[in-house]
Formats: sequence, structure tokens, C-alpha cells
Amino acid sequence: MTKKIKLKISARLVKKRTRRAGGNRPKSCRFCSDKEQVYSVDYKNSTFLKGFLTERGKILPSRISGACARHQRCISAEIRKSRVMALLPYSGPAF
Amino acid sequence: MVQKYEALLLTIPEITGDEAKDLESKLDKVVKAGSGSTVSFERWGKYKLAYDVNKSEYGVYYLMRFEVPKGTSLISDMKTYISVKLNNIVMRDMISYLDPKIPSTYQRPRSLEEAPAREEGFQRENRGSGYFSSDSRHDIDED
Repeated sequence: MTKKIKLKISARLVKKRTRRAGGNRPKSCRFCSDKEQVYSVDYKNSTFLKGFLTERGKILPSRISGACARHQRCISAEIRKSRVMALLPYSGPAF
Repeated sequence: MVQKYEALLLTIPEITGDEAKDLESKLDKVVKAGSGSTVSFERWGKYKLAYDVNKSEYGVYYLMRFEVPKGTSLISDMKTYISVKLNNIVMRDMISYLDPKIPSTYQRPRSLEEAPAREEGFQRENRGSGYFSSDSRHDIDED
């Protein structure tokens, strides 16, 4: 038996494939790949945690920070602890 | 079984050396009363706070680390002691458990007394001389 090879591919499928593989680089959590970096997620290390805040002091969503769900939880928990100690702001400067 | 804890204290910016020593000895006493032992007591320095606490822009941080045998009420005792007896010095406090797997070294933000203080002094000196010279010239022109 010979297999039928699909020659024509619909435009939508091509788009879908490029979106998946070509256009965006694959996302990977930087804390999962480097275990040492997890230790710097600490409420005392506010200079590091500042990188996970917006200008207005909001916590960056995981789709931007690139952290997996587990490490995003660590980050947001430490940021909230840091806010209590006045190391990080609850809200940024008003416009 | 010994558990490690740390307490980060945010004190008023006008704290004196004697008051800091008094604070350390008082907390040490509380830890010893709960059959624990203090490991370290560090002064981080003066900081500009992210928001005003008790109407002050600045604050001084102290980090204390101590060991406690398991199953004592020391942590809750210490929390009440800080919030009741040290009410006039300590503005905020946080006592947290230290995981033995995580290394004990930590990073902290720069205080005002470290690198930025030097910059400020440098700027102030330059500005001072600049104002002085421009003012004196102005006087001469007017005359």
C-alpha cells in the first residue's frame, strides 16, 4: 500500500506552523534552567525583584517575565513580602 | 532539631548607636528566654523607603538571624514583643523561616551610606563652588 502524501496545505495551517515554530523562540523558564538563580528570588534582594515590576509598580505577568507558574508564584510572593518592608513600592509614581 | 529564622527590622532613621545596641541586647534576651541563640545581628544602613512609613521618608534596616529549637512559642512571643515593647523604634518587622537547603548568603540593595552617598557629596561640593563663583561674579558686574 502506498501512502497518500498531502501536497496542498491550506494557508491557515502554514500560518499556524510558522507561529508555532518559526516566528517566536520557544519560551523556557530561566529559573528552571538555572537553579542558582532561584536563590536570588528573595524579598531582601529588592534590586533583583525590581526587574519584575512595571513602571507603576505592578507585578509583571508570567507571559512577559517568562517564568513558569511555579516560579512566578515565588516571585510574586517575594515581591509582596518586600512591599511590606517598604523595599518595593505598592504603586509607582503618578503621572 | 534546630530551626533557623531571620528577622528584618525597619527602624526609625533617627536611631542612635546606643539605641541600636539596646535593641540588639533586648532581642538577644528574648531569644535566650526561648532557649534559642542569636547567630548574627547586622546593620544594613540607612535607606530611602519606597513609600512613607510613619511619616518618614527614610529608615534604617537591621537583619537578625537566630536559631530556635523546634516546638517553642518563641516566634509569636518575639512578634508581640517587637510590636508592643519596641513600638517606638521599630516601624516594620518581618520574621521568616530560613530553609537549610538555601545558602545563607544574601544580597541586599545599596544603602544611602554606600556608593550613592559619595556621588551626592561630590555633586554638592561642585555645586557649592559653582554657586559661589557665579554669585561673586554677579556682584562684581553690578558694582
